[in-house]
Amino acid sequence: MSPMDEQDLVVQRFLDQDLTPEERVAFLQAVDSDPSLRRSWLNLEMVVAEAASLPRLTPSARFISQLKAKVAPPSVSVWDRVRAAVTAPRTLEWSLASAMAAACVALVAMAGLVTLMPERIVEVPVASAPAQTVAASAEQEPTVFVRLVLLQPEARSVSVAGDFNGWNPGQTRLERSEGGMWTATIPLKPGRYQYMFVIDGKRWIADPLAAEGTTDGFGSQNAVLDVATL
Amino acid sequence: MGSRMPLVQQEGPDDGQLVARSVKQDAHAFGQLIDRHAAAIVNLAYRMVGNRAEAEDLAQEAFLAAFKALSTFRADSKFSTWLYRIAANKCKDWLRVKRPGQGFHDVDADEALDAHVAEERTPEGLLSQQQVAQELEQAIQRLPPLYREAFVLKHVEGLSYEEMAEILGVNGDTLKMRVYKGRLQLSRELADLNPTR
Repeated sequence: MSPMDEQDLVVQRFLDQDLTPEERVAFLQAVDSDPSLRRSWLNLEMVVAEAASLPRLTPSARFISQLKAKVAPPSVSVWDRVRAAVTAPRTLEWSLASAMAAACVALVAMAGLVTLMPERIVEVPVASAPAQTVAASAEQEPTVFVRLVLLQPEARSVSVAGDFNGWNPGQTRLERSEGGMWTATIPLKPGRYQYMFVIDGKRWIADPLAAEGTTDGFGSQNAVLDVATL
Repeated sequence: MGSRMPLVQQEGPDDGQLVARSVKQDAHAFGQLIDRHAAAIVNLAYRMVGNRAEAEDLAQEAFLAAFKALSTFRADSKFSTWLYRIAANKCKDWLRVKRPGQGFHDVDADEALDAHVAEERTPEGLLSQQQVAQELEQAIQRLPPLYREAFVLKHVEGLSYEEMAEILGVNGDTLKMRVYKGRLQLSRELADLNPTR
């Protein structure tokens, strides 16, 4: 291509709107008086206008899907995902505000738990009073913890069987403490329960300290525990 | 027709945010970058190599190269500029291999072009609008690669000289000369087709 002369450069700069106002005026005056220059300029303007209007391709769907497939991570098995999740090092971020909020939530939960499950211990002293239900607080809750006590120094094992455990002597065992005292604390809903102690797995006896008793239909006496709501 | 590409800010996350997410292996984020810039890159490649299938292959290579090199992308520059640069280089590499010696104007091709359009003129001997567009597309393919690249970025993709300088790593004055020469060659070719112009 032949080198551009000064006039060619002015035309090009005009196309790029790169002329000073004075240069523009001079150029337009030259165009007005020079048909050849005018023709060259118009041809260039046409090229620029046509180029800006050339149809644009739309990338094919195949192109897009293939490309996205190539940048997608390889599929990972469930086992690998689980292993990665379990073994991935994690950074625990916390703020003082969120830590305090979590502590408050924990305290409220603990208080609620204590409130919901008060410990109700039924003390059954051997020497005197029968089993009693003692409310741990003024609020009545559905579960009452009843402590059963039996003095049996010679026994090797003591358990209790009754309505509350399907009369299964193997389910609720009493623990031996000093002096041959056997105790167990049983959570019970309010209601009336018949029960008996089982000594050494074979001797069934009624609670000698029970306030109430009833016949068991087999010639023996069952103790009756009345767990009342207050 | 002829909607210009450049560099329009999209709604939703900007390119920088999508790049940051892509670096963290968010394939969906890079997919959004693909959706935003695929047309521009495919069209640049098409105008450079003149073949749709080759253009999509080159565009795909450009995107994959960008994806692999995401960690090197500087957040203070535009993703589109960086992507254009990768694509332009891919196209020039392709031309160097596939069409060596295209740096010089092919006179024989001009003569063949004259013969091709001889029968297609209007009664007045002028080319129709559509024919002008077709002839221009083919004439662009006959531009030397560096002129072609500059002309396409300037007048087909609608970029500024500043953006082009950033993409190509060439100073503005050099780019202007390439565009000037490209325009001149194209206007002379089209004028030859319409001698009455």
